[in-house]
Amino acid sequence: MSDDAATLSAVWMSGPPVDKERVRSAIDTVLEKDRAARDRERRIRVASLLALTCLLPLMLWAAAHGVTPLVRGAYALMAAGCAVVVFAEWMYLDWSRQALPGPADARSQLQRTAFMLARQVRLMKTAPIWSSPIFVGIAMIGLWLYRDRTHFEAFVLWAITAASWLAPWLGTMSARSRLNERRVQVERLLGELQ
Amino acid sequence: MTGTPDYKGQFTELMQAYASPIRRLCAAYAESAADREDLCQDIFLAVWRALPAFRGEASVRTWLYRIAHNVALTWRARHRRRQSRESPLREETEAGAEMDLRRVALKRAIAAMSPGDRTLTLLWLEGLSAAEIEEVTGVKSATVAVRLSRIRKHLQPVEVTT
Repeated sequence: MSDDAATLSAVWMSGPPVDKERVRSAIDTVLEKDRAARDRERRIRVASLLALTCLLPLMLWAAAHGVTPLVRGAYALMAAGCAVVVFAEWMYLDWSRQALPGPADARSQLQRTAFMLARQVRLMKTAPIWSSPIFVGIAMIGLWLYRDRTHFEAFVLWAITAASWLAPWLGTMSARSRLNERRVQVERLLGELQ
Repeated sequence: MTGTPDYKGQFTELMQAYASPIRRLCAAYAESAADREDLCQDIFLAVWRALPAFRGEASVRTWLYRIAHNVALTWRARHRRRQSRESPLREETEAGAEMDLRRVALKRAIAAMSPGDRTLTLLWLEGLSAAEIEEVTGVKSATVAVRLSRIRKHLQPVEVTT
């Protein structure tokens, strides 16, 4: 470093000293935040695992012993759909963790973050497709109701199914656009860094 | 790994030692005091999470700067919209009270840079060599040298006032 550069560096580093007590309190806050985040993630994983272990055997049983082939097919689809949803949720969590900044060099980190964000956006966008077995299964139960029970029950079930199929997709629209915007910014940063 | 005493001690030691450079980095990326605090905590958190995987292959300094700059860059990407709504004057008035004029001038010059140039400048001001900057950013050291000489020209008015 030349003399001028050293002076500039000295100017930059000439700020007031950091209060050790403040650093210690920041450390405590961070450790607490980390514990809370890990607990939240553990809760999500346990809840989805519980849902899977409770629902899946029930659905598989219904798929084997349903009153008609239509009902059996419906439950089989729903069982497959549940497994796919839980798997997708776990993947999403995993990608979120991988997108977090770590000790890689900035270029590699930005590339990985942009890649993971793109994957997350794609996963959210395609949610109505990969979650469709559940809803198609429920709609098939509606069809059975339509044929063997009352039309009213069938229409109510179809309406609820359609709403719950589309609602999460519409509800995550802003989250999707936020993630996508972040991805664009990260790619721009990557371009500026190179 | 959470809460293992060894890591906690190591982490506390590390954060105490590097609190000043981290604070300076946060000041260069975040405008308001609340944002600076937020960014600092994000950096601390990322360091804490990465610590168990640290094998000592790189020096602690470059390892820590990698994490800090990665957090700052992604933090900026996440908060860009909000930052653009904030008035930059607020920080200047805050700064005027506590920093000398040269630091303010330097800070303004750094704030006006593109994120890429800013990252290189901050690392250079912290005393990292071109090879170390390459380790942190992934930008070739020859490119770093060329860009830094251009940045130095840009910073000449600040140098003159010193």
